[in-house]
Formats: sequence, C-alpha cells, structure tokens
Amino acid sequence: MNTYSLIKPELLMLTKEQMFSLMPYFYMFVGALFTIILSVNKKLSPKWTVFLVSLATCLVGISTSVARLKIDTLTLFNGMMISDTYSHLFNIIFIVSAGLTILSSFRYLDKEGLQHPEYNVLILLAALGMMLMTSSMDLIVLFISLEIMSLSVYVLVGFRRADRRSNEAAMKYFILGSAASAVLLYGTALLYGATGKTQIHDIYTFIQTHPQSMSPVFVLGAWLVILGFLFKVASVPFHMWMPDVYEGAPAPITGFMTTGLKAAAFAAFLRVFVSLGYGSVLSETIQTHLHHILWVCAVLTMVVGNVVALTQTNLKRMLAYSSIAHTGYLLIGLLAGPKSDQGYSPMIVYLVSYAVMNLGAFGVLTLISTRDDGGLNLNDVSGLSRRHPWLAFSMAVFLFSMAGVPPTAGFLAKYLLFYSAVQANELPIVIIGVLCSAVSVYYYLRVLVYMYMKEPQGSPMKSGFSVWPSFVVAAMVFLTLQIGLIPGGILTVARKAMAAL
Amino acid sequence: MDISPIAFYIFSVMAIAFSALVVLKKNPVASAFSLVMVFFCFAGIYALLDAHLVAALQILVYAGAITVLFIFVIMLLNADVPSFDIGRSHILVKILAGVAAVAVLAAFVWAFKNSAQIQPTGTFSAEKIQTLGGNTRVLSTLLFSEYILPFELTSVLLLAGIVGAVAIAKRKPSQQ
Repeated sequence: MNTYSLIKPELLMLTKEQMFSLMPYFYMFVGALFTIILSVNKKLSPKWTVFLVSLATCLVGISTSVARLKIDTLTLFNGMMISDTYSHLFNIIFIVSAGLTILSSFRYLDKEGLQHPEYNVLILLAALGMMLMTSSMDLIVLFISLEIMSLSVYVLVGFRRADRRSNEAAMKYFILGSAASAVLLYGTALLYGATGKTQIHDIYTFIQTHPQSMSPVFVLGAWLVILGFLFKVASVPFHMWMPDVYEGAPAPITGFMTTGLKAAAFAAFLRVFVSLGYGSVLSETIQTHLHHILWVCAVLTMVVGNVVALTQTNLKRMLAYSSIAHTGYLLIGLLAGPKSDQGYSPMIVYLVSYAVMNLGAFGVLTLISTRDDGGLNLNDVSGLSRRHPWLAFSMAVFLFSMAGVPPTAGFLAKYLLFYSAVQANELPIVIIGVLCSAVSVYYYLRVLVYMYMKEPQGSPMKSGFSVWPSFVVAAMVFLTLQIGLIPGGILTVARKAMAAL
Repeated sequence: MDISPIAFYIFSVMAIAFSALVVLKKNPVASAFSLVMVFFCFAGIYALLDAHLVAALQILVYAGAITVLFIFVIMLLNADVPSFDIGRSHILVKILAGVAAVAVLAAFVWAFKNSAQIQPTGTFSAEKIQTLGGNTRVLSTLLFSEYILPFELTSVLLLAGIVGAVAIAKRKPSQQ
C-alpha cells in the first residue's frame, strides 16, 4: 500500500563531516543551556561562573568555526542549512562580538545593578540565531533563526527596566520589529504560494524551469521579503526605530546590535539575494528593477544618516545615525557586487572592519558611561584626553576609522567598496558616497575636538577602569590598525567566502 | 478537490467582520472574544481544505490556549484604562493612512487576480495522504524527518522566549 515511503533514511543520518560542521552551533546552544543551569545553582556564585562559562562557550565556538573555515561546502538537513566559508566567517564575527560584549558588560552590569545571568544567556542565544540565519538555505529556517535573534535582542534592549528610555526603546523595537517580521513572513508565504517551495535552491530552479512563474504574486512576495530585510538593516525609509533603540539600550548591547545584528541581517540578505540569482541569471528587467530600488535606498540612507548625525549631541544617537549611514555604504556594495571583479568581498571586509571599530567605540562608551548612560553626550567626553589619554586615543582611532581616514580599517574598507562601485560603472553613487563621508568627518571630528581641546567638565570618575573592557578596547585598536595596514589576511578570507557563496 | 463556495464565503466574510471588530472594539475583552471567532472561522476554512489536523490544532491552540492567555493578561493588567493617548493623530495622517491601506489592498487584489497561470503542485494530494494514513501521521513523520531542523529550532526559539520573559518579569523595577 505504501508506494511512497515517507521517511527517507538519508535525511536522518549525519556524516562525520556534517557533524563537525554543526559543532559551532551545537556548542553555542549547549553553552547557553549550561549557563541557565549554573545560574540557578545556589552553591556557586552565579555571577562569576556564568561569566566564565559563557566566555568559554564563545572561545570554543570561535575555535570550532575557525577550524571549519577552510572546509568545502556542505549542505545539511536536506539542503536546509549550508556550511561553507561564508557562514563560518560570519559565525566568527558573531561569536567574537558576543564574547566581547559579554567581556565589556561585566563591570557595567555591576555598576548598573543588573548582574543577572539571563543577560549572558540571551546574548549567547542571539548569537546562535545570527549564526543560523547566515547558514540557512530555507525560508522557514531563516525566519525562525531571525526570530531567535530578534526575540533575545528585544529583551536585551529593555534590560534596564528601571529606566524609562530603555523600556520605551524595547517597546518600540518590539512592535516595529514584529511588524517587520510579519511582513517578511508574509512575503515568504507568498513566495511559497507562487513556487510551492521553501528552500532557496528549489525556488531558484523552479523559476529557472518555469519562467512564467515570475507572476505578480511572486514579485509581491519578493518585495515583502526585501522590505523585511531593509527594515532589519535599517535602510532609510525604515530607519525610524534605530536612534531610539540605540539610545535606550544598555551601551554594550548597542555595540552588539551595531555589529552582530547588522552583520547578520546583511549576511542573510546577501545570501538570499545571491542564491536567488541576483546578478547572474535573473532577467534584465528584474535586475534593473532591483538595481533602482537599492540605488534609491542607498542614496537616501547615506544622505539622511549623515545629515541627521550632524545635529546630534548625544553620542549614542550620533553613532546610531552614523550606523544608518554605514548601511548606505554597504548597500552600494550590494549594488556594485554583480558587475565588479571583486564581487561582494568588499562588503564582507566592510562588515568586519565596521564590527571591529564599533565594538571598540562602544567599549569606550561602556567604560565612561555613568549610571544613566542614555545621556552620554558630548560634554561627558570633553577633556577626556587629560583624564584618560589612552582611552581618548582609542576613541580617536575608532572615530578616524569610521570617518575613513588612513591607515585604519575604515579607510581600507571604504576604499575597496568605492573602488568596486567604480569598476561597476556606478559613478554617480560613488560621488554621492564620497561626499557623504566627507560630511561625516565633521561629526566624528567634533567628538575629537571635545576630547582633546576642551576643558574637563564635572567631577572625575571615582572608580577605576576594570580590566576586561580595557582589554576589549585595546584589542580592537590593534585590529583596526592591523586591518588598515596589513589587510592581506582578511582580503583572502573574504574572497574565499564569496567564492563559496 | 473542490471546496464548497458557499461555506468558503460564509467563513471568510465572518473572519473579516470579526477581525474588524478586534480592532474597533473599545473593550479589550470583547476584542479578545472577537479574536476567538476569527480563529474559529480560520479553522473552518482549513477544514474545507481537508486539513483537519490543522483545523483542530487551530481551535485547540489558538482559540483555546492563546486566547485564554490573552484574557488572563487583560484581567491582570486591568487594561480597561488606555495607557497612552490614541486616536489623536492629525486628520491628514488619517487620510494618508487610509489611502495607503487601500492602495496596498488594491495591489494585492491585482496580484492575486493576475497570477493564476501556473499552479505549482506539491508532493502530496488529499488522496495520497489518505493512502498514507491520514494527515496526522504524514505530518508527524515529516516533522521528525524532513523538517527536523526547523522543528528543533522552534524549541530553541521558545527557550529564548522563556528566558526573555523571566528576565523581564523576575525582578521588580524597585529592587534594582
């Protein structure tokens, strides 16, 4: 009677290679579980054990991902997940940013009276969600992992419950983010309705073999998916949530969001785009259509982000608008990718350098923030060079890097990105981009002016700096300069990751 | 497979009407009960499509468990009092929002009207599922073989949700 066997045994088996490729995800999950168990242990003080265990988890996760970096592409779970250089490179970015966030939060949580183990658990789970997002090849898995990430971050944003701004930020982010997720999900449903598939490769082959399947429903679904992604990367018509959320969230979490969340959204966006044939097989009309959408978004994002950042006196808000502006530059990379020799590798380099400098900058902000860190404004850093010369120097390095001044990572990344756009014959947008980054120098340098040329205000900080955040900041200064001066390693990895895509 | 158009229209019109009530009712408990009705109408449509398991789950999980949770929350929060000003938006904003909503609706209607050229067929049909032992069996086998990854990830998602709920609800703001 059973002519069609339901259980395909080959789907239930994992080869040894596939097992190893799953290890980073597995360790992150086990680490999160272990952290939960330890946090209810009455005998040991949860504060230190949770801190150490989550750090150890990150270290193990990083080392397993590094070990998988050079392995050939493997598909897992019937093609729902993929393990290649691209996904493992991004895994490393996510786990590093999670680990550094945990490191730099340790003293901050003490200071704010927020030392709760859930904080670390949620960071680990968010990182797991990001990792799964970049390695998913199935729209269902993509959506679920996106939700794992978003749900954890919603809570982390509202972690300072006594603070009104933090609550407001969490609420806004939750409502807008859920709406965007719903849009993305509806788009996914329409894509499924139009093609009958949820796996990205199947959809790709389906639209290859059935050209007439590019029906209005398919286009509508694709549009909604693109809108959902543009919300997550905070491109301009959908950027309203970002400044409030960045301002209200605890400083280390803002750093985590600028690096992890943004990289995850972009990585998944790029993966879906490229796997669906963007830049290669899609018909000419669709290609130009997508090109126009991205072009308009990129220009608006750069202009609005940079211009509004000029008027901000609150440092976190300023960095939020600058983060919007950087989204615009990254969209240029997405535009130029198909037509330049370097493909999308400038985008990867940009995401890595952006992550490095932002983790550093928010590390500095975490160090100097006082109890009510939402109000970190320019006056709080004035005269910083007299009180803490090294801290001011690190901040200066990060700001120069964000502005794109050599010899920092930011310069190299921007140079590669604009160069690839020039190769792709996108001169107008390059000119707009360069002008915008010229504008951005003003607000980055204004912070420097406050730090180096103004008298210190208010009473100096009483407590000294703790070791961990200072270590994070120092490491990030080193990396910023190292990527800027000796970019060989990162370029090779980025090219290899793109080749795998 | 044919679905009876009369039943379909009855369920759809009711679903739309009750959805409108969910939004329009001022009393949150009335909204919650309208939502129950919406879920029942959905269940009816699923049953028409021969998806009896989904219909049953829709009633058990959504109309049962989730709505009870809603009503508990409404009772605990005493949500009769609006917590912020609503309905004070500018008339221009209202008009624009209305126009945008109608435009989106028109776009969807147009898209659905014009995309009937190709109807992808999946692996399963209603008859095939019958021979394989029914919806429940097929669904559960698939969940534990082909769709094991999303299935397990959903539990990770729930774990994240639980930890988040604990993190938010555990401590009182004054204790900090």
